[in-house]
Amino acid sequence: MLTRPLLLLVIWVGLTTDLEPTVRADEAVPHWSFQKPVRPTVPAKKQLRHGERVQNPVDAFVLARLEQEGLAPAPLADPWILVRRAYFDLLGLPPSPEQVETFVNDSSPDAWGNLIDQLLESKHYGERWGRHWLDVARYADSAGFEGDAAYPNAWRYRDYIVSSFNDDKPYNMMVQEQIAGDEIWPDNLDLDPKRVYIPTDTQKQHLQARIGTGLFGFGPRVGESTLDARRLHYETLTDWVDTAGSVFLGLTLQCARCHDHKFDALTQEDYFAMQAIFTSSIEMDLPTITPIEIASWRDSYPAIVGAHEARLAYKVFQQRIGEDELSPEQKVEEKRLRDQIVERVMKLQDVNPSVPHTPFDPLMQVPKATVLGHERPELIKPVHLLERGELYLPRQKIHPALPAALARSTNRKSKVTGPYGSRKELALWLTQSGHPLTARVMVNRIWQWHFGQGLVATPNDFGKHGAPPTHPDLLDWLATEFVARNWSIKELHRLIMASNTYRATSRFSTAEHQQRDPENRYLWRFNRRRLEGEALWDAIHTTAGTINLAVGGRPVMPPLAEDEIAALRRKDRWPVSGDPDQHTRRGLYILVLRNFRFPMFDVFDAPVNSVSCPQRDVTTVTPQALFGLNSPSVYRQARQLACRVVRESAGGPEQWVQQLWKIALARPISAQETEETLRLLAVLSETQSVEQIQKTLGDSVESLAPASPQQAAALVKLCLAVYNLNEFSFIH
Amino acid sequence: MNRVAPPFTTQAKVSGTDGTELPRRNFLRNFGLGLGSVAFGDLLLQDACAREQGRTPGPSKPALAKQVIFLFMQGGPSHLETFDPKPAMQKYDGQLLPESLRDYDLAQINTADAKIMAPIFPFKKHGESGLEVSSIFPQIARHADKLAVIRSCYHELFVHGSALTMMHSGTRLMAHPSVGSWVVYGLGSETDNLPAYIAMTDGIFRNGTTTFASGFLPAVYQGTYLRAEGVPIQNLQRPPGLDAPQQRLLLDQINHWNRRHRDAASGDSRLDARIANYELAFRMQSAAPELIDLSQETEATRKLYGLEHESSKPFGKMCLMARRMVERGVRYVHLVSNGWDAHSNCQENHLQGGNKVDQPIAGLLSDLQRRGLLDSTLLVWLGEFGRTPIVQGKNGRDHHPYGFSAWMAGGGIQGGRVFGATDDFGFHAVEDKVHVNDLHATMLSLLGLDHQQLTYLFEGRRHRLTDVGGDNDLSSRLTG
Repeated sequence: MLTRPLLLLVIWVGLTTDLEPTVRADEAVPHWSFQKPVRPTVPAKKQLRHGERVQNPVDAFVLARLEQEGLAPAPLADPWILVRRAYFDLLGLPPSPEQVETFVNDSSPDAWGNLIDQLLESKHYGERWGRHWLDVARYADSAGFEGDAAYPNAWRYRDYIVSSFNDDKPYNMMVQEQIAGDEIWPDNLDLDPKRVYIPTDTQKQHLQARIGTGLFGFGPRVGESTLDARRLHYETLTDWVDTAGSVFLGLTLQCARCHDHKFDALTQEDYFAMQAIFTSSIEMDLPTITPIEIASWRDSYPAIVGAHEARLAYKVFQQRIGEDELSPEQKVEEKRLRDQIVERVMKLQDVNPSVPHTPFDPLMQVPKATVLGHERPELIKPVHLLERGELYLPRQKIHPALPAALARSTNRKSKVTGPYGSRKELALWLTQSGHPLTARVMVNRIWQWHFGQGLVATPNDFGKHGAPPTHPDLLDWLATEFVARNWSIKELHRLIMASNTYRATSRFSTAEHQQRDPENRYLWRFNRRRLEGEALWDAIHTTAGTINLAVGGRPVMPPLAEDEIAALRRKDRWPVSGDPDQHTRRGLYILVLRNFRFPMFDVFDAPVNSVSCPQRDVTTVTPQALFGLNSPSVYRQARQLACRVVRESAGGPEQWVQQLWKIALARPISAQETEETLRLLAVLSETQSVEQIQKTLGDSVESLAPASPQQAAALVKLCLAVYNLNEFSFIH
Repeated sequence: MNRVAPPFTTQAKVSGTDGTELPRRNFLRNFGLGLGSVAFGDLLLQDACAREQGRTPGPSKPALAKQVIFLFMQGGPSHLETFDPKPAMQKYDGQLLPESLRDYDLAQINTADAKIMAPIFPFKKHGESGLEVSSIFPQIARHADKLAVIRSCYHELFVHGSALTMMHSGTRLMAHPSVGSWVVYGLGSETDNLPAYIAMTDGIFRNGTTTFASGFLPAVYQGTYLRAEGVPIQNLQRPPGLDAPQQRLLLDQINHWNRRHRDAASGDSRLDARIANYELAFRMQSAAPELIDLSQETEATRKLYGLEHESSKPFGKMCLMARRMVERGVRYVHLVSNGWDAHSNCQENHLQGGNKVDQPIAGLLSDLQRRGLLDSTLLVWLGEFGRTPIVQGKNGRDHHPYGFSAWMAGGGIQGGRVFGATDDFGFHAVEDKVHVNDLHATMLSLLGLDHQQLTYLFEGRRHRLTDVGGDNDLSSRLTG
């Protein structure tokens, strides 16, 4: 018999009993998250047993909670650990040996604070935290399903997010821009009827703000739904409302599509009223350049036609000849026609794809952003309450409105104006001071991205069925502090990272701690975290010295191995980037197809991207180990890492391994490790054939001198081993 | 049935906390799981399951089948040319559909003006049961007494993309796990050195990797794409310049350092799981090539699967590998046959289709039976929809989701029977209607899983493979 799996033996927990509704929409006392946060008193330092650990209110709240649980906090992490933690956490990149050195040798009391300030100023900060946000925003460059149609402008939203984080744009403004950038600041290029030639800076800024509404332009979409306009519209509205609900409200509105929400005070009518808010909106492609620049593009139009005609002439020639052998005259003709194509294509105005905001995109199209705008009044489709959410079971007509119970808790009527301007009202309501959800949901996300787990463990579900906060006072204190500090996300980082809660070691445990709080919900120590796929990609290429840290622009497509591309249905969907420098851009910039995920990210738990993903899974699967051990791209980077090691350290094997540890693990190598490593190198050197050495070194023999080929090949293999260490893949 | 121990299985060794090597059983005991022969993969699955609020699924009722071979005819085979005989249609050939059927949406043709095309191939009764099978499947027909044909499958999606999504995940939305992922989530893995869920195709996966994706379930439940030729699994081949002994050397050193790191890390089961995982990867490097290496199969066996004919060779190889997977404990085998999208010349298309899969599938049925594997292996044959009774162009048929056929065999199924029926035109499923959700509920049920209890919390909702459907679970009738 097949052995019965282990899982069988684990007690089966009934799943249905706890699903009974416990509240109704008309309940008297609203759920905690539907009540305005009240600023709690910070526990007094003096009254805490570990009061000496209090750096700021964050610690006071956490220590008070630990005391309640009878748990002592872990000691602080040493500076070697902290500096690596801070770099990965804020930039998603490992620190260089010099950066580590600088911090570790800085004994001033401000060293930590200065480091954080310095990292927050880096342009790579927005890439790291923007990527977190893109998970929530279900970002992708294609629509999914069989057709997997491209979204050629989605990346502009990605860049908008990166610069919003870098500029520390107040979060309330980010919300407003993403929901209603067009309605709140209507003086952008598209909506200005006069089409002024030289837009003002404010207008340009408002155009950028409107790119935030691109959030609604890259959802999953069944191409074939275009066969049925009503269905397409309904599916689009569903995606928009579900996304807005998850992202900004932290509520699972979608449950109310088919029935009144079983757990939360949300009705089906609330749900369709949200759809009614969006029904007057449509996606549109908006030029991101000024009319005068468009005029100049039109100047180049004949060149585009020229290139097209040259191609056409060649095709006609081909058709005429068919399969026949070419005569000498025809060969001359063929060459002339081919050269003509090359010549005309090369004449098209050249642009550098890695420089954003150049007037033309490389395809000689007017660069555009996909944004929200207004449907023409006569084309606006009315929204009906749909029985069981079924498109063909319409009931009464529904008008735009905010969810009634939530509107009540903000002392506001739920009805909003329509058809236009309703998104503006939604955005302003979400960002009004004292809104019960917006700030809480965001500070919880920020907390989660720092610690691996939120104060509310279900970041997209602040409803009754979601997890209750572990530290309700801390959550509310942070939420009110966030608003008081002008919704500044960078201020939140400073606050959180300055705490000793953040600076605690992850390498601490006692039987008591393990027993009382094995999941560390009360934060007695720091949570060790595995790097996400993108961060791992960045770490491998940064340590190898091959990373290209250019910021922004179109998605890039690194080459794929034959076995990686095998599962891609249409190979032309992955046109490898022509410029090899683009192959080692940060993971953030790699094309995100819904139908084919970049193979490395696929095995390292890439986010679900058809709906908002608040928290990535962290699984351990065999393809991860196979990737680390066998991927040709990792092997190439191991070779580059070996080159860097030799380049940066004079001397011999002992110096190499010292430098390798500093680069890859951001710490000095121990005496024991040195001994083990040198022994391994020796064994590896001796057991290689000449052919193996050649294959391992490729064309890097010279870069690896003064190491002998034998030593160099062994060093490459050692570098490969280091890439596979848990210490390399985790933040500690 | 006996679980065949592949020749490469060695007693896996993992380190104890003191850094010494311990047999695997002790390793499991250290995790509080002192069970007999628990498969290693389960440990990793367990790790992922634990995240789901401590709820761990498992069979909730007696299982008849333990493993699944999902034979997917991508493109949509015609029910009228395979398992749903409509002799009476001959007299309507060339006429319009009755008035009542002229207002249905189809992908490329119009129900209002396209003419009826009578079934192309003759049907004959086969076996003791007299089950009717069309002439394109002469070999499968010899197993008629093993097949339970369902002639009343239906859904409402008439284009490939969403129909495929529906057939594989029970909904038309993205991000929902494939049936195979649900099954592995529910039952865990049975193999020490191969993935629990393997997908193969003789062409493409029309919906890309989402065809076998785990959606919102953790990645550990994802299907692995196995190629019949060359390097079977991504990154399975060692980099040039690194041979097996050297890789072993590196791996020992990696493990050594990882264990030391873990010991300093004060308790973190993920670190143990990762160490175990590297050993699993090491074993898979020999297990997967061994799996696809058919050189040890006898000439008779190769013939049984149709490997000597060019037309049946690709799918034949996949079917033979499927049997080898079943022997090695792979839980869910997902085979995709391409080319059933008969918009033009349905006759030629389906003759070719028959040539491609008839001998391989018949061979698989015979082989599983003679090895005693058929009773515990559920075979499911289906496509994303059937084809229209009305003609497209001169002699083609368009997509048709409103009534089509599937069959099941093995896994406790009592064959030689027909369930449900379509109307006189093969247009609508009319008797004993079986929605995709019902089909999935039936599959789960045969595996001992209750489709209403196999749930996963995502986005605030306990999701099921069968969404809100699945009430017509046929399992007791199929097996009784």
